[in-house]
Amino acid sequence: MITGLQFGAPNQKARHVPGRWRVIALLLAGALLAGAIWTRLAYWQVVQHVQLSAEAQAQYHELVELPAVRGSIFDRNMRQLVVNTTVYSAFVSPDQIPDNQRARVALALGSVLGADAGKVNQTLASGKKFAYIARRFSKQKADQLRSMLLPGVGLEEEQQRSYLPGISGSSLAANLLGFVNYDRAGQYGVEAYYQKQLAGTAGYISSYRDLANREIVLGTHTHQDPVNGSDLVLSLDSNIQYAAEQQLAAGVKRARAESGSVLIMDPKTGGIVAWADYPSYNANNFARTDPGLFLDNISSSVYEPGSVMKVVTLSGAINAGAISPDTVINDPGYVYVGGYRIYDWDRRNHGTITYTYVLAHSLNVGAMKAMLAEGHDNFYKYMQAFGLTRASGIDVAAEDVVPPPAAGKMQDSMYATAAFGQGIDVNMVQMLAAVNVIANGGRYAPPHVVERIGNRLNPILLAPQAQVISAATAQKMTAMMEQVVQHGSGWTSRIRGFELDQAGKTGTSQIPVNGRYTLDVWASFIGFLPAQHPRFTMMVVMRKPHFPGSDQDWTLNDGYMTAEPVWQKIAQTIVLDWRITPDPH
Amino acid sequence: MTSTRILTRRRLGTLGAPHAPVRVRQRRARGFVQVASIAASERLRISTFGHAYVGLGLVLVGILFYLALAAQVTQASYDITHLQDQQRQLIAEQDQLRYQEATLHAPAQVEQQAVQSGMQRTVPVTYVAGQPIAIDLQAPIGAPPTDSTPLWERALAVLVNRLGVARDAMAATH
Repeated sequence: MITGLQFGAPNQKARHVPGRWRVIALLLAGALLAGAIWTRLAYWQVVQHVQLSAEAQAQYHELVELPAVRGSIFDRNMRQLVVNTTVYSAFVSPDQIPDNQRARVALALGSVLGADAGKVNQTLASGKKFAYIARRFSKQKADQLRSMLLPGVGLEEEQQRSYLPGISGSSLAANLLGFVNYDRAGQYGVEAYYQKQLAGTAGYISSYRDLANREIVLGTHTHQDPVNGSDLVLSLDSNIQYAAEQQLAAGVKRARAESGSVLIMDPKTGGIVAWADYPSYNANNFARTDPGLFLDNISSSVYEPGSVMKVVTLSGAINAGAISPDTVINDPGYVYVGGYRIYDWDRRNHGTITYTYVLAHSLNVGAMKAMLAEGHDNFYKYMQAFGLTRASGIDVAAEDVVPPPAAGKMQDSMYATAAFGQGIDVNMVQMLAAVNVIANGGRYAPPHVVERIGNRLNPILLAPQAQVISAATAQKMTAMMEQVVQHGSGWTSRIRGFELDQAGKTGTSQIPVNGRYTLDVWASFIGFLPAQHPRFTMMVVMRKPHFPGSDQDWTLNDGYMTAEPVWQKIAQTIVLDWRITPDPH
Repeated sequence: MTSTRILTRRRLGTLGAPHAPVRVRQRRARGFVQVASIAASERLRISTFGHAYVGLGLVLVGILFYLALAAQVTQASYDITHLQDQQRQLIAEQDQLRYQEATLHAPAQVEQQAVQSGMQRTVPVTYVAGQPIAIDLQAPIGAPPTDSTPLWERALAVLVNRLGVARDAMAATH
């Protein structure tokens, strides 16, 4: 019996191969085959390991960001001013929509979302993988779409800030609060200033997904919880804010002004009670708003304060002992400073008058004489102490400041005009905080908007307040400012029952354009009430008012005609809302 | 058949210590167990393949158990995802309600509702009766003003003011 394999040509003698060689040959062949397979396996599993595992991870592994919930914003009465709401965006995957379903899908999207059916049809026929149909719509519409079970249509959730309604289509306190853009970044106002505290820290979840892209919750995953943002409690009073916005809008329209602003402060703490700009905007609709309206005129633009500055000038001079309210001076109606003749507003000779009279009738010559009496250095030091040479530090984004030149670089004429509020630029926050020193017994209360960040009190509230002038000086100036209301230019601000207990000062300053003063003015009024125990300090500014008849008489654009009536109406609302009673006399 | 105890003794090469007298009842019980176990092992005696089959069966049972468990886990996972979706929708609904509530309390909304209800803003002044205060708004402030500036100084000021050349009329403020 022949066993084994036959090799060679048929005519050759067959060679007998032992059985063990055949086994060895088979083993060798097997080993070669196995070696080839193992080599290939080693190539894929060792050499290509990193790349292939990364590709696999990308298919079933997902790193999802868990967004932190942005902190809410409340007013002083814990009324919510901003609410986080969920909005939805609809997208389609045209390649997943059967041809016979396209018309139904387009019709449904058009009817629910108001999308143009033609454009939707065009998108569906495009064969794209992904396309948005509508962005940021309400939950009601999303629920409608869900119930229709449309093939190839998906919904994406997004968080949105929703602001309370204000007057005539704008949102409440829009210029103070700002808004949050689509990238979840605060823009303008408090939203921008406190972005870090409000936003919190996003978390993440690293999980696995099946073929249908559903999350396998119980699979291996890592998870980092987000840290939600802190809530803010403001010193704002939403009732007063609304009243301020209403009266300001009416006042701006009545005075035919370009714009106007109201700022109200708690005299003791420096907390902002109301912050109103007109015209304003709707923060819920920021994407379709003229960006020019986002600019806040209160802290982000400067103006020349005009005669309101006399409060600072005279307070400094009294505190320095250079003058007293009863000091008598001669006011011929003008004075020469640095080669310039500078007039009183009425260009009249007032003769011998007291400084109380100077303030009540807002006379420039008196202010300049007071400044000269205390000296340039003292005047400059008091400007610094009243906070007019630096930013107020208000916790609202983008405060604009134009500090005056250094004391040594200011010319005599600059000192003279600064004494009555021209040639010096301040923002409203700086000016209100400066005059508030009088209402606060001579102490500077740092202006701020936020009282609490989460559970923490704003540190500014715990810091000691700087004593700028003595309490006695503040008392004297209060009495002088009362005279402004009772006998001077503040008469249109009088509130029934508070006539003897109300302090204020008007300011009207011409607006310079290209280095020359024009006939356009900034008109303002600032005051506090009750004078002896102030509950609020308020400032109203009107920009470029054109009061009916002012073409013939520019003084009709003055603060007493344009800003004071607004101040009076808002103050009346505060008196009622806060139940303020006059001091007994 | 040789019992394991006997085998042990053989292996150890010992005959064992002489038995202490034991109670009859105990000896009877042990004998019964031994007999029973021997009989059982006789009956359950299986071949090597039998052992393999049993092992394979056990492995299969284990795999089936694992698959059932994994299926349940996956199902639970999907249930959790579904519940999470529901939770998200409820939170969204809650947010909407919260915004509605805040809006209803907003001063603008309150005013609008009041106007729609036919309410009107009244003259908002009501004071507690007190002593009437008379103010003479025409009365001069304090004592009549007197100029304490020396005469020569006033004369000089008048002179200077007359001689000065106005280069520019600075802004008037009030």
